[in-house]
Amino acid sequence: MNLTEPYQSDGARGVQPLRLVLVLGLALVALCAPLVLGTYAVHAAVIAMIFLLPAHGLNLLVGYTGMLSLAQAAFFGLGAYTSALMSIHLGTSFPVNFAGAALMAAIVAVPLGIPALRLRTTSFVMCTLGFVIIGQAISKNWISVTRGDMGLSNIDKPTFRLLGASVEVAGPVQTYYLALAIGALATGVFWLLVRSPAGRNLVAIRENETLAESLGVPTWKYRLAAFVIAAAFAGAGGSLYVHYISVASPLMFQTIYTTTMLIIVLGGGAGSITGVVFGAFLFVGLSEGLRVTPELRMIAYGLCLLLLVFKFPKGFAPLLQKLWDRAGGITRKEGSA
Amino acid sequence: MTAPLTILEVKGLTKSYGAVRAVDSVDLHIDRGEILGLIGPNGSGKSTFFDCTTGLAEPDTGKVLLEGTEITNWPLNRIAREGRMLRSFQKTVVFKQLDVEENLVIAGQMFAFPSVASTFSFGRAARDRVAGLRRHARELIELTGLGHVAHMPAGNLSGGQQKLIQFASMLMPDPRLIMLDEPMAGINPKLIERVVDTIQYANREMGVSFLVIEHNIDVVTNLCSRAIVLDQGRKLCEGTPAEVIANKDVREAYLGG
Repeated sequence: MNLTEPYQSDGARGVQPLRLVLVLGLALVALCAPLVLGTYAVHAAVIAMIFLLPAHGLNLLVGYTGMLSLAQAAFFGLGAYTSALMSIHLGTSFPVNFAGAALMAAIVAVPLGIPALRLRTTSFVMCTLGFVIIGQAISKNWISVTRGDMGLSNIDKPTFRLLGASVEVAGPVQTYYLALAIGALATGVFWLLVRSPAGRNLVAIRENETLAESLGVPTWKYRLAAFVIAAAFAGAGGSLYVHYISVASPLMFQTIYTTTMLIIVLGGGAGSITGVVFGAFLFVGLSEGLRVTPELRMIAYGLCLLLLVFKFPKGFAPLLQKLWDRAGGITRKEGSA
Repeated sequence: MTAPLTILEVKGLTKSYGAVRAVDSVDLHIDRGEILGLIGPNGSGKSTFFDCTTGLAEPDTGKVLLEGTEITNWPLNRIAREGRMLRSFQKTVVFKQLDVEENLVIAGQMFAFPSVASTFSFGRAARDRVAGLRRHARELIELTGLGHVAHMPAGNLSGGQQKLIQFASMLMPDPRLIMLDEPMAGINPKLIERVVDTIQYANREMGVSFLVIEHNIDVVTNLCSRAIVLDQGRKLCEGTPAEVIANKDVREAYLGG
């Protein structure tokens, strides 16, 4: 796998004009897309940017630390319910709910992570799957709080309050810009995180945990930290999601949420930030786009995934890297990939 | 009783796996600045002894003291970080997908940052620390003669070059004591000389003490001032390499004991 993206010095100095055009072009596309796209496509883009948050968290675990967790959907749901309940009972504004959801997910991740991280490989995966099932059971059965299968509905659209004025972000286009801002911010934070010394230690754990231990890295603490941070990302995503679709229900713990996050990361390219951003748009877009044939939708989606696995076993990250290298006028002597 | 001269002292270390006593009440001490050899036939308990002293395994009984501080049952990462006592592995391990320089930077990080939390920062101070590590890493890369492959993924290099990476990694944190588990196993004879040179350089110029498990008797004679022989989990004899080689019991142990 080409997982070394964050640490390769690519040798190019100064600004490459072609790269600048590429980056500015993409930014322009992102900013102007809602003006051109239909309502439904804008909606799909919003969903993609929401799923980007738990996907970043999952990428931290799978791509950087080398642990496959299915619990992201549980923290996504937890964040959604937290945000919904805060909004209903406390009437707090969106930024407060958003932070509250991320914080709640992080806090809950600590007692869940401590026993789970004692497990390795498949046992760990099964344990994290258990968290999603427990989440669903709680949301269905703690009726006094969650209203069970009826779910919590009519949740406020994202609302910002400033100096007594209240602004509601309603409709796909407005939400698009909110999600774009949050997605860009989250991506920036994630970028800083994986480039920090701690990010390097996580990669060391992925590469060889015993070696990392022998060089003084307390690997258990780092794995717990990664689990908690990933949960916070997922909780934040759940908050934005619930305020956008305005319903929180036990359906949020369905397998499809877990698989969507997994496909984004593995298909986009674990260990690559650009790969995961690309994956979020591609796979959510594909899933939504295939609604033109409702009967064949899931079959076609499955076939597309099969094709992907055979054509791009490492996800799209290597392809994007090659494109980026070419834009910078670099021909890399290929070492690892 | 720990004389200030002693850097590591192991007392009565015992470790059993089921009915097998892999290590049977072994005493050992390493003096500051010494290169001590640990030899013995396959299955004599050298590696188990190593794992129990460095925190990779827990001994059943016995004590390990590093400069007078008891470190028995400390986990591997703590012994490395707080004790600055580093170890290598018999089967060479490197961070394969990362380049040589990154391998070394990782090796130094936990010594340059005061806590786990401080490694999560990406401010100027953190960047300066990493830049310092990178400079140190380049020096060690030059020292070990890996300059021309500094930006190659470590997994693409030869076994001998990987040994050198591992060795250079252990020098990153200014170690007090390095424990080497068969550093010469399976490497190109030309590189043996370079590894020996590097060990001697680190010993002489950086004041690092060593415990070296080694089968190559020439290397032991060349490198070590003192050697200890283990056989069937017990200490068989101790002395200068020449004395040890001449010992009758040692010959028997190797030839069929």
